[in-house]
Amino acid sequence: MSTIDLQHLVKRFGAFTALKTMDLSIEDGEFMALLGPSGCGKSTTMNMIAGMETPTQGRILFGDRDMAGVPMGRRGVGFVFQNYAIFTHMSVRRNLDYGLRMTGRPAAEIARRTSAMADLLGLTDLLDRPAQGLSVNILQRLAIGRSAVMEPAIFLLDEPLSNVDAAFRAVMRTELKALQRQFRQTMVYVTHDQLEAMTMADRIAVMDHGVLQQVGTPLQVYNTPANTFVARFIGSPGMNLFTGRLTQTAAGLAVDLGPLGISPPLGDAQAAAANGAKGDVIYGFRPEEVALADADHPAMTLPLTLTERIGARTILHLGTPGAEVRAVFQSGTPFPPGQMRLAPAPAAVRLFDAASGTALQAA
Amino acid sequence: MSDAPDTGAKLGFRLTLPAQLLVLFISVFPLLMQLYISLTDWSPLTGAAWPQAWQFWNTFDNYIHLIGDARLWSALGRTMFIIAICVPIEFLLGLGLATLFVDDFPGKRVAYSILIAPMMVVPAVAGYMFFMLFQSGGPVNDILSWFTPTPVAVAWLSAPDLALAAVMVADIWQWTPLMFLILLAGLVGVPADQLKAAALLGASPWQRFVSIVIPRMKTIIIIALAIRVIECFKIFDTLFIMTGGGPGVATETISVYVYKVTTNDLIWGYVAAIALAILVVLSVAAVWAMKRMAR
Repeated sequence: MSTIDLQHLVKRFGAFTALKTMDLSIEDGEFMALLGPSGCGKSTTMNMIAGMETPTQGRILFGDRDMAGVPMGRRGVGFVFQNYAIFTHMSVRRNLDYGLRMTGRPAAEIARRTSAMADLLGLTDLLDRPAQGLSVNILQRLAIGRSAVMEPAIFLLDEPLSNVDAAFRAVMRTELKALQRQFRQTMVYVTHDQLEAMTMADRIAVMDHGVLQQVGTPLQVYNTPANTFVARFIGSPGMNLFTGRLTQTAAGLAVDLGPLGISPPLGDAQAAAANGAKGDVIYGFRPEEVALADADHPAMTLPLTLTERIGARTILHLGTPGAEVRAVFQSGTPFPPGQMRLAPAPAAVRLFDAASGTALQAA
Repeated sequence: MSDAPDTGAKLGFRLTLPAQLLVLFISVFPLLMQLYISLTDWSPLTGAAWPQAWQFWNTFDNYIHLIGDARLWSALGRTMFIIAICVPIEFLLGLGLATLFVDDFPGKRVAYSILIAPMMVVPAVAGYMFFMLFQSGGPVNDILSWFTPTPVAVAWLSAPDLALAAVMVADIWQWTPLMFLILLAGLVGVPADQLKAAALLGASPWQRFVSIVIPRMKTIIIIALAIRVIECFKIFDTLFIMTGGGPGVATETISVYVYKVTTNDLIWGYVAAIALAILVVLSVAAVWAMKRMAR
C-alpha cells in the first residue's frame, strides 16, 4: 500500500516535451485512470512511475520515499504491459513464480504463494501448460498474477484491454475492478478509452499534449469539465461547444450564438458564472441534455442532417456546416421532420472562457 | 478435370515432375558417382575414363584401408580440436560483441562496418595476410617485443604447436564477425517488453540474460553453431596458404589431407571413400546434435 506523489514532473525527449510539469497525488488504494488521446503523455508518466524512464525534472514519491535513482526492480511496482509480455518460452507456473525465483525466495514460499495466486485467478489447472498459445483472457490474468504474486504496493496497467474485442472488454472491465478490490493496491491505469476510465476508476486524470487537464471522479469530469478539451473528450459524443457573445434578453442573460440564433436564457448558476466574463464565451451542453421545445418556449431552430439509430439511443446531427449540434434521444422519441426546436436543459449548460477554454465558475 | 477435387494438385505434380527429377539428378548423381568410384581403385592415371572404373573394382578395400589409416585419424582429431577451440571462442566473442551492439552508442555504424570487414576478405588473401603477420620477423613478434625485455623472434609457422595456434587465430579473426552478425539478429529479436517485465519482477541483468535472452535465441544459436561447426570442419583455404598443412602434418586437417591424397598421391578411389565416410558421419552427427540441442 502506498501513495504516489508526482511533483513538478517534466519529461523531455531531446527537443520534444512529452510531459509538461505534472503534479498529481494518488491516494493509497486508489484506482486512478490516466486518460487521454495518443501522445498525451500518459504512458510516459506511467513509465516514469515504474522507473523505465527517468524524469527530466521533478520528483516521484511513493509514500514519503523519493524514487530518484531506485531501479525498476526495487520499486515494488507491478506492471501489466499492453501486450502482457508473457514469457512464452516458459510454462504458466514459471511465468507466475518468475519474480519469486529471481529474487531468491525459499522453495516452500514460492510454491505456497504461486499456488495461492493460481487459485485466486483460476489458473491452477493450467500451471504446467506452456504459456504459448493461451487465450487472451488467460494471458491477461497471468500477466496480472505474475505481478500480483510479488505483492507490489503499486500496480500499473498500460492499456491492458486494447488488444481485446469489444464484447470481451466489458467482461474484463468487471474482472479487473473485482481484482483491484481483492488486492487493495494503489492502481494506475493508462487508457485512451473513456468507458474503461469511467467504469473502473475512482478518479480520472485527463491529459492532453503533455498537460494534465483535470483530475476528478468520473462524474465530476463528466458533469463539470475543467475546460473545452475535457468537455469534448469525455462523453460519446462529446459536449456541443459554440463560441458566442453574452447578451441581455428580456428573459435574462443569454448567449448570442450567431448562426444558431440566441440561446435560451442561462440558468442562475451559469448566469452567475458568466457575470465575471465580458463579451465572448464558449457555450456548451451535453447532447444527452437537450429537449424538444414547443413554439412558445425559447429554443434554437436547427435543420436535421443525419439520424444515427444505435439501439436504445438515437443520435441526431443538426445545424449547418461549421455550426453542428448533436443531440441524443431515447429511441422512439417522435421527431418532427425538417426543422427542429431544441433547448438545452438550463442547469446542464456550461460556459467556458473563449480565449483560454477554461470553465467559467461563479466566484 | 471436374470429377476429382485434387486434380489441380495432381496436374501441378505432373507439370513440375521433370524439374524435380532434374534437381534430384543433380543432387544425387555426384553422390552415386562418388559411391561407385569409392568401390574401385580407379584414378585418372589409369588412363580409363571414370565410367570404366569397374575394371579396378576392389569392393570395400578402400573402406578397410581407411579404418587403419593413422594419418587420416590424426587429421580428423586435429580438425575436431580446431572446432572445439575456435567455435566456442567465436561464439562467445560474437555474443559479447552482439550484446554491445544492441544498444546505441556513438560511432556504432563505423564500428559495425569495421567489425564485419574480416568476413568480406577473400580467405586466400587472409591466408597471405596472416602468413606475413606470423613471420619470425613479422608484426606479431614486433608487437610482442614491446612487452618483453628481449626481442621476440618466434617462428610461429615452423613450430608445430604454434602453427596450429596461428591457424586458429586466423580462423577466429575471420569468422567471429559471422557469429556476431547472426547472434545480433537473434538478440535484436528478443522482445524488449519481456526484458522490462523481467527487470520489474526483480531479475538482475545476468538473470535476464540467462532466463529470457538465451532461451529466446536458442534456435538462432543452434543455427549459428551448426553453420560454424560445419564450415570449420571443412577448414582449408586460409590454413593451406599459411602452413600448407605443415610443418610436417602439424596443421593437416581433413580437407588438407584429402587434398594431398587427391593431388599428390592421385588415388581417387580412396579419396572418394574418405569423403563419403566423412559425409555420412558428419550428417548423422549434425542431425543428432541439432536434435539434442533443440530439446
